[in-house]
Amino acid sequence: MLRKRLTSENLKRWIDALVESGKQVVAPVHEEGLTVFRTISSSDQIADNYTKTDFPFKEWLFPPTEVILRYRFENGEPVLEDPEVDATETVALFLRPCDATAISVLDKVFGGDYEDEFYMTRRRKLTVIGLSCVEPQPECFCTSVGLSPTSERGSDILLTQIGNDFLVEAITEKGEQLVNEYANLFADAEGLTKDQVTAEVIAKMKRTEPLPTFSETYTDIFEHPVWEEIARKCLGCGICAYSCPTCHCYDIVDEATLFEGVRCRNWDCCAFGLFTLHASGHNPRPTQAHRYRQRVLHKFAYFLQTYGQNMCVGCGRCIVKCPVGMDIYEIVQRIGEQVTSQV
Amino acid sequence: MMTSVATEVAAPRETVKVTKNIYKPHLMTIVAMRDETHDTRTLRLQFKDPQVAETFDWKPGQFAQYSVFGVGECVFTIANSPTRKGYIECTFRQVGKVTSALRDMEVGQTIGFRGPYGNWFPVDEWDGKRLYFVGGGIGTVALRGVMQYCLDNRKRYDEILILNAARTVADLVYKSEMDEWASVEGVTLVKAVDPGGETPDWDGKVGLAPNVFEELKPTPDNAVLITCGPPIMIRFMLLAAERLGFKPEQVYTTLENRMKCGLGKCGRCNVGPYYVCKDGPVFTAAQLSRLPKDF
Repeated sequence: MLRKRLTSENLKRWIDALVESGKQVVAPVHEEGLTVFRTISSSDQIADNYTKTDFPFKEWLFPPTEVILRYRFENGEPVLEDPEVDATETVALFLRPCDATAISVLDKVFGGDYEDEFYMTRRRKLTVIGLSCVEPQPECFCTSVGLSPTSERGSDILLTQIGNDFLVEAITEKGEQLVNEYANLFADAEGLTKDQVTAEVIAKMKRTEPLPTFSETYTDIFEHPVWEEIARKCLGCGICAYSCPTCHCYDIVDEATLFEGVRCRNWDCCAFGLFTLHASGHNPRPTQAHRYRQRVLHKFAYFLQTYGQNMCVGCGRCIVKCPVGMDIYEIVQRIGEQVTSQV
Repeated sequence: MMTSVATEVAAPRETVKVTKNIYKPHLMTIVAMRDETHDTRTLRLQFKDPQVAETFDWKPGQFAQYSVFGVGECVFTIANSPTRKGYIECTFRQVGKVTSALRDMEVGQTIGFRGPYGNWFPVDEWDGKRLYFVGGGIGTVALRGVMQYCLDNRKRYDEILILNAARTVADLVYKSEMDEWASVEGVTLVKAVDPGGETPDWDGKVGLAPNVFEELKPTPDNAVLITCGPPIMIRFMLLAAERLGFKPEQVYTTLENRMKCGLGKCGRCNVGPYYVCKDGPVFTAAQLSRLPKDF
């Protein structure tokens, strides 16, 4: 791993140089009362004084709606057209370690066998410059799912602020290249270590209990009455999935006129009753309890079993945004207690 | 709150055409159709692209996404066996938006088709075995491809029993094909309808499929049972098989769940950690017994 020191002034120079190089640079900005990822034209636009964007970086790789097929009708007969996908070389700045890790989750879903070219085209053009946390928010629980405020996973380069300077860790080859291209801005990293920062941030976190996982036990707790109790207040609004950096379920629908049409891939959500409703009227997940169970077990059992990685990154956005105060951190612990009490 | 809003940037954007699109269907022409019942129809489809027609292959039990452009996609099994190539057949019941649109289509019109998806029946492992096929209602459709495969490779298997059941005579699918199945040497064909579903001239059995199957006293020795039907029928078939002495490993069924991608990505057809679209749709009773009831 390439390690360097970068001053705050040079960080700005570096970002502006990246913008000038013609790359698309995406960074957190304040917009209409929210902090969100937007394309920037200058380092001055980057939001200061924030811990986490209101919505994760996900939508840049997996947009809420996307055309996956175009067609037109000629004399009533469909003629297919290959859709286009954005392949602009992009640098994403200042993803928090939880959001960067989430990309490694999405990579597993959209890559692998049956590669999704829409996602993967954008992904291959993306370089992620992560930024370690300095101030946790009350909902943060990354250490409970095996991450830390300074973890490197998912980032090509990770920046950690230490005093007025930044420790630069180039984790991937792509990241090293981006540092080496602007080598004169970087100094030797000697004496810089992020251990103290990591410890300080973790010490300030409110939620640090390690969360249980259920890959081995999901069949034991599947029909437990606790799901019904937990899900009783769930409104099924779906904001948990829409604000989640790893949720990736989608719907496919056609939209067409008599002359032309598109097939779209849209974000979907396991909290919706229609999500699994068969045309016959049968629904394997007929109540909110069934649906919330799917949400928890997908993240803390199924994905882990299939891909060997936890699907929750502990960002806590679903906790903050839930209109009725569903708290996945507490819920998962509560499920865990049922497992223990059954053994 | 900070109010500095990022200005719109006219950064040069680069786009590329998607050329290996996993969601892009093949175009197929409807070359023939046949009504199985008042609400169930079989379509015979041919690939428009002669090269795809030449090379397209699949395994018995696999399924596909069929689409009506402008309306949407839906999942059916590939209802013919790969021993009968050159065309694809699907049998569907008109229940929703896409199946209604599909039913409005006529011979000569074009639909979309992507697949084959999912796993398949392990027909090679069944060499030398007795085969019992028990289909209920539209569930028989899921067995037709593998049944055709076994009939076309008749010599590889021991005796074959086919039980085609439905609620009523009017709901029985493949009526016009049953004579062909029965005419193959060593094949016993039994047809059955639920009590009250018979007509005055009905010459088959009257009874629920699991009961009729049990009354036939099929031996579990060196046999496999392949069954599909409504969830309630599958449940009682599994119980009947158990009473007859079948081990769960000898019993195969095929599941369905709502699907969108067919590729293990869109996240809705899972039963526990397994996607029906990718890890299924074919499961043994032994596998099902280890899965949570999420279907």
